Amino acid sequence: MKFVYLLKKELKELLTLTTILTLVVSVVALIALGGVMGNVMEETTENADKITLCNKDSGSYSKAVIEALVTAGYEVNEIEISSDDYVEELNSKDISDVVIIPETFSSQIEDVLAGKTVEKDGEKVIAPVDVEYVTRMNSLSITGNADVGSTVALSAIEGAVKSVVYASKNMSVEEIKLIESPVNLVETTVVNNKQAKESSTLLSAYVMMTSMFVPIVVYILIIYSSQMIMNAVATEKIDKTLETLLSAPVSRLSVLSAKMIAATIVSAVYAVGFMVGYSYMMDGMTGSIAGAVDSSVISELGLKMSVGGYILLGAQMFLSLLITLAISLILGALAKDAKSSQSLLMPIMFMAMVPYMLSMFVDFKTLGALKWVMYAIPYTHTFMAQSNIILGDMTTYFGGLVYQIVMLAIFMTLAVRLFMSDKIFTISLDFGQKKNKYAAKKNKKA
Amino acid sequence: MANVLEVRELSKQYKKGVYASEKVSFSIGEGEIFALIGPNGAGKTTTIRMIATLLKATEGDAVVAGHSIITDPAGVRESITYLPDEAGAYKTMTGKQYLEFMAGIFAPDKEQAKIYIQRATDICGLGDRLGDKIGSYSRGMIRKLLLSRAVMSHPKLAILDEPTSGLDIINALEIRRMIKDLAREYKMSFLLSSHNMLEIEFVSDRVGIIAKGHLLEVGRPDELKEKHGVKNLEEVFERVVKDNEICISPEERA
Repeated sequence: MKFVYLLKKELKELLTLTTILTLVVSVVALIALGGVMGNVMEETTENADKITLCNKDSGSYSKAVIEALVTAGYEVNEIEISSDDYVEELNSKDISDVVIIPETFSSQIEDVLAGKTVEKDGEKVIAPVDVEYVTRMNSLSITGNADVGSTVALSAIEGAVKSVVYASKNMSVEEIKLIESPVNLVETTVVNNKQAKESSTLLSAYVMMTSMFVPIVVYILIIYSSQMIMNAVATEKIDKTLETLLSAPVSRLSVLSAKMIAATIVSAVYAVGFMVGYSYMMDGMTGSIAGAVDSSVISELGLKMSVGGYILLGAQMFLSLLITLAISLILGALAKDAKSSQSLLMPIMFMAMVPYMLSMFVDFKTLGALKWVMYAIPYTHTFMAQSNIILGDMTTYFGGLVYQIVMLAIFMTLAVRLFMSDKIFTISLDFGQKKNKYAAKKNKKA
Repeated sequence: MANVLEVRELSKQYKKGVYASEKVSFSIGEGEIFALIGPNGAGKTTTIRMIATLLKATEGDAVVAGHSIITDPAGVRESITYLPDEAGAYKTMTGKQYLEFMAGIFAPDKEQAKIYIQRATDICGLGDRLGDKIGSYSRGMIRKLLLSRAVMSHPKLAILDEPTSGLDIINALEIRRMIKDLAREYKMSFLLSSHNMLEIEFVSDRVGIIAKGHLLEVGRPDELKEKHGVKNLEEVFERVVKDNEICISPEERA
């Protein structure tokens, strides 16, 4: 029985309205995140059945392959590609990828049927049929890049070619083995207004690995700096050292500025340290992929950030840091005790976590009306910054930058006004406190 | 003697119609020790915080050594020190570092800062423990450190909220003597707030009794005892506060 009393007391201590509210908000946010991810994945899966194709071959085999694709359930959209300027072709036709069947396709199939072989890794194999795949890299997120498309295109065409070959010739098991990979997918990747002959799968893997790095640093920086300044303000307020300091012969603005500058310096040092450590770690992780991708192709496509790009990225990271410090200062002042200061960290955590998670999987620009909700979160622009800079979407980058400056001005004004007013001592957020009507009445009389 | 503090009809309204402190007026002369006493929620801390320029007054004014809290709060802060009730100190600093930090803020130059630090070191009596982190101090030790900080600059007015809370009898007696000595020798003025009537009676030159935001009585402890025909300040306090409650109309009481 005594244990029940103890347990009840502990549960009451832990399950406050603040913790329950935090849990509810977390669950709702995760469900919403799941919903968005589900929609994006569904769209990707739906698109996996659609193939945009340009048939340059006048022979019968290409027609047979297209028929085989349709029979296999693919929705084939045939278009004309007249030039080698794929940037222009993709832009004018407003498509993100296209499979190109070359003029020599039927004659290559005939070579396959005739049993023409080539040497590959010391083994004799049937000469594979060339098929070109051109894709545009739209964002650095998992679903926004071309990885999925090339895999679908390759397996679809391979399947179709195999079925045509099997149908044309009564082949033995040995012969079928020889043509397990009958298609040689010649890939061209379009990034922004540049194109290069490189596997989109490899490029995607490289870009994803390198672009993972910045969001992690940004996320940790936001959480770390907010925790630091919130604790600093909350502790000063709770311990009443703030009262001592603000009654001393120093201006409130210098006390506030000292806090902000110190937190900025420590966060910046932390960020630099973390970036150095993380870049070493990423070097190890991406080394094999980086080796597989031709570095000149990376530069040619502009997938490597320039010094200017890093400066632009740094500008948004710095703005995010200052916004975090201003918001944290306000939230820290709302803290009633150490426990509530931890709970008050939740809004910042969510504002950082939601765009961080989504930026890894989704291209924000494809989210329809929801993208405006995401854009309203100032941190979203920093998570998008690297993608915007690399892919040359400077309108979105500078739009985000201006929005962040406006948000910083708003939060900084609020923080300064709070710090300069009585509220720094009188304000506190306590969801759990029930209103005592009797006490309120009594106070009114006083 | 010249007044170091002149409080004129000082009021603080947090919500419309709810006054934490209403038209409070009193003065403190040079070298005088004035105690503000009252029950919990009477408006002592609000009044003190307004004088310390932490809260803005809704109405009225207070002038400290010629500086108005309304028009010249920076000048006021040059003339006062404030020790809040149950205040803490920076736990990651050592006692010595804390005194150096505070002296750096209060002193006009490094030489003066050294003098302040030496004074505080002598007053707090913490000896070698000043080299230890404040996080390892007892409540009494922190209070002594903070008190020494509050008087090290010999301000014109030291505002001490519950100066001896957390101190044992011997230390509390030492602090009371120290306050009296500083007032006598250096003509420092003190505005104290305390619930300990014995302490107030021993240390204060004059007392102000505040309840429900109103300053009800001001006088020397002997005068007040004589006026109410009681033996000690506790009884004066009880009588004044209860009489004031009776004065409240039944409508107000509802």
